[in-house]
Amino acid sequence: MDSLHAIGFYVSAALAGAGGLFLAFSDSRQRRGVALALVGLGVAGIDLALSAGFAALVVLICYAGCALLVMRPDYRFLEQAAGGLWRQAGAVGAALLLAALAYAAFRGNFAHATFHGGLFGSVSVGRLLFAHDALATEAVGGLVLVALVGAAAAWRRERPRDERGEGRR
Amino acid sequence: MSVTLVSVLFVAAGLIALGAFTAAWKHELTGALAGLPVMFAGAGVAFVGVARFAVSSGPPLLGQEVAVLLAIAALAAVGLGIGLAGREGSR
Repeated sequence: MDSLHAIGFYVSAALAGAGGLFLAFSDSRQRRGVALALVGLGVAGIDLALSAGFAALVVLICYAGCALLVMRPDYRFLEQAAGGLWRQAGAVGAALLLAALAYAAFRGNFAHATFHGGLFGSVSVGRLLFAHDALATEAVGGLVLVALVGAAAAWRRERPRDERGEGRR
Repeated sequence: MSVTLVSVLFVAAGLIALGAFTAAWKHELTGALAGLPVMFAGAGVAFVGVARFAVSSGPPLLGQEVAVLLAIAALAAVGLGIGLAGREGSR
């Protein structure tokens, strides 16, 4: 991997990390959407630096969609029932998860290989998706279909504004 | 300056932990839901890194395929979550 790709990888990783931090500590919907778009942009850059151009394109489109969904002004505000103690326990659990994954990454012993794929790889990934692993692709397609049908059915019912516990953030 | 599998896995671990922290820390359920794509993004980066740097018994680009499927699943999960949260009336 040459220096240009390495710089692209580290800049994209910093962008994704900054977006993730911004997402964790932002309260408004617009900021959350922007943060999610930053994460998507960073992850797409990482994928591109790792010679996975097709995956980068799909990630960019999907995370732009996620950001637009999160930015919508008309979904309801739902307060979590869990108290502060459980949230703090969850945050400590996330820190422990980071420590465990970082330790596993540091101690991992992988056999290194020379990469022979191209920069974009759409043909090879397409062959995998639609020939080698067609069942998995169909399963994900079914999952997306069920999710979108469920979301559309739930979205049709309009709830009055008074049902909220607190004001919109 | 070079990129190795370890650095890719460190970035992936950071993204997964950030997503888990967001999901655990947020008051609002839809805000917590936004942590899910970040976790999926971390998993996808790890898969792409393994496909790029390591030897696997499967096809060489299997990791890229899984990253594509994870991104689509993240979009579906966010769509379902926002839909289940429901639309707010104008009253």
